[in-house]
This record gives sequence, C-alpha cells and structure tokens, in this order.
Amino acid sequence: MTYFRVNKDCNGCLACVENCPAAALDFDDQNDGRTLKHNMNKCARCGQCWRVCPQNAIEFQHLLVGQWDEVITLDLIHCRVCGEPLYSPAYGEKVESKINSSNEDLCPKHRQTEAASKLLHPGVAKVILKSGDK
Amino acid sequence: MIVGDLKPLEEIVAAIKDYKQVLVLGCGSCVTVCLSGGEKEAEQLSRELSQMQHYQGPSPQFEVGSIIRQCEKDLVIENQEIPAGTDAILSLACGAGVQTLADAFEPLPVIPALNTTFLGASDKPGTWTEKCKGCGDCMLIHTGGICPIARCAKSLFNGPCGGSKGGYCEIGQGIPCAWTQIVARLKKMDKLHCYEEINVSKNWKPGGAAGLRRRVRTGLGDGSSADSNKSR
Repeated sequence: MTYFRVNKDCNGCLACVENCPAAALDFDDQNDGRTLKHNMNKCARCGQCWRVCPQNAIEFQHLLVGQWDEVITLDLIHCRVCGEPLYSPAYGEKVESKINSSNEDLCPKHRQTEAASKLLHPGVAKVILKSGDK
Repeated sequence: MIVGDLKPLEEIVAAIKDYKQVLVLGCGSCVTVCLSGGEKEAEQLSRELSQMQHYQGPSPQFEVGSIIRQCEKDLVIENQEIPAGTDAILSLACGAGVQTLADAFEPLPVIPALNTTFLGASDKPGTWTEKCKGCGDCMLIHTGGICPIARCAKSLFNGPCGGSKGGYCEIGQGIPCAWTQIVARLKKMDKLHCYEEINVSKNWKPGGAAGLRRRVRTGLGDGSSADSNKSR
C-alpha cells in the first residue's frame, strides 16, 4: 500500500511529477497506460504536489498520518515464572554459544529470586558458612 | 526550516576549477523543500558546471548524489559512498551539512555551494521568510507569536521605531514593520496589555554569545558530549 494516493480525479497531467522538489515522483508510459510512481525514501513530504495538482486529486493526508507496516514477527522466549518476553530463540542460542552454557528462561527479577533461593538451600548455605569461617 | 541560496556560479567555479573529480552532493531535507539544494538542484548545478566555457584548462568531472540529511555524521559515513577518484565534494547542504561532511570525510575538501541564509517558514508557495534567529530564549509569548528579533530590522524589543511608516519598515522592499504586526496581533488577541509591558534587555548567552551551543540528550548515544564516530 503506497502512502502517496490520488483519487479518481487524477488525469495524469504530471504537474506533481514536474514540481516535486525531491524528485520523488516519476511515471511510466507503457502500451496505452500511464503509471504514476512514488518513492517514499526520497519524499520530503513538503506538500508541493498537493499544492500544484490542478485536479485536487492528491490525498496528501495519507502522507501525514501514515500507517503502521508490519516489519517482522518473531517467536519469543518468555520468563518461565512471570511470562515476561525475553528474547528470540536465535538470540538465546547465540548467547548460549558465547557463554558455553545453557541459558535459563528467566527475567532479571526472577533470575535474582532464583539465585537467592539457591543460597537459602541448606546445602548451599552450609558451604557459604564454612567459607565464612575461614 | 533552514533556507539557503545557491552561490553565484562564478564563485563555485572558482572554488572547484582546480579539482579533477567533484562529487556534487544534494541534501534531502530543508534545502530540498526550499528548492535550493536537493537532488534536482545538484543535477542542474552539475550540468551547468560541466560547460567548458567556465574553465581555461580541463574541467573537472562530476558525479551527482544526494542523501536524506547531510547533518548526521554517522548516517553520512555509513551511507554516502564517495566514488573512487573524488578529490573534492561540492555540498548543496546548509553550513551544518557542509561541516558534517568535512568531518566525516577529512581530509577531502568540502566546498559549500549554498549560502545558508536563515531559519524561515513558507508563508505561501514559493516564498520563504525569516522567522527565527535561534536566540535560545524565546519571547514569542509576549509578542503575539511574531518575533521582533528576527522580523524587525533593528531587532527592537520595544518598538516600533520612528522608521515605521504605514505599517512598513523604512528599509523598504515591502518589508512589513514587525512591531506594527505585533500590535495588530495583540489587539486581535485582546492582549494589548502585553504591549504596554517593557521588555527588558535580553541575555544573549543562550543565543550563542557565550560560545558554541551544544545539547546532549540522555538516552541516545553514550551520553557524552565528546565527538566520536559510530562504532559497529
């Protein structure tokens, strides 16, 4: 869906193409038809096309309001305790290969909680106390 | 927006005549919209500069390009290719863009093709008028949204002066008296009491009188004010 839209009054006169300061409009004449082309990357959205159009055919509001384009949809790994989205599986694998260890699916908060509960485990606590005695 | 004017052709020719290959580079933002430094103007300038009549010796070769904004160093470094053999860039950007290119592609010479003229707005199609001096301490709330610093020839804070005649400034050229406009606007707004208040002398430090102005926004980049290139 293009952001540059014209209504049925467009008669293909090319006033917009000729007056676009950003060279963002072009056209193709093929067979019996004329195709108007717009390049969003070049468009400065200055409104000159809309000003000069003798047919009032340019619906410039679409260039001002715009729309959301879906860029990518990713699967995400979530914290196994609270469900907070963490990272993509590919990123998780990348991190695991870097740290050469498996990565637990935990958010920062529950990673801390998990670590604290391990410390409170009697076996672990005993080791800490012993090292504290030294 | 920033408004610029193309320099006289002779001045540009004198600046580029000793180079062999020049990249003529437009900017896709302000100067595109005000029809002075976009891709179209870069192509047109390249065509004009290619005419042999301008040179006593061989003319430089020209390549033409354009980038959406010349004033962002990391964007320019990563996205603007400099053709092999280029020994100078002729920039159609504002002074900020020219300096950014000079930093980005040092030691390649970057030659300004425009005179950066003013911060302005388009009152009607094809006409741009100066509106703002970037003084750093906006007083428009007191003057009905009309800036006396930018639009009064004397930048008077408490005008008009004796040179205001029939709503026009004594400098001529059909320039309206900003203070006449301010009074008329305040009257329409039922805020003429603002006109009766004395605007005291301004501190010009925020306007650049205290040296280079720089802003660092936290949350973008590394938060330091030191110059550094994007590292990837």
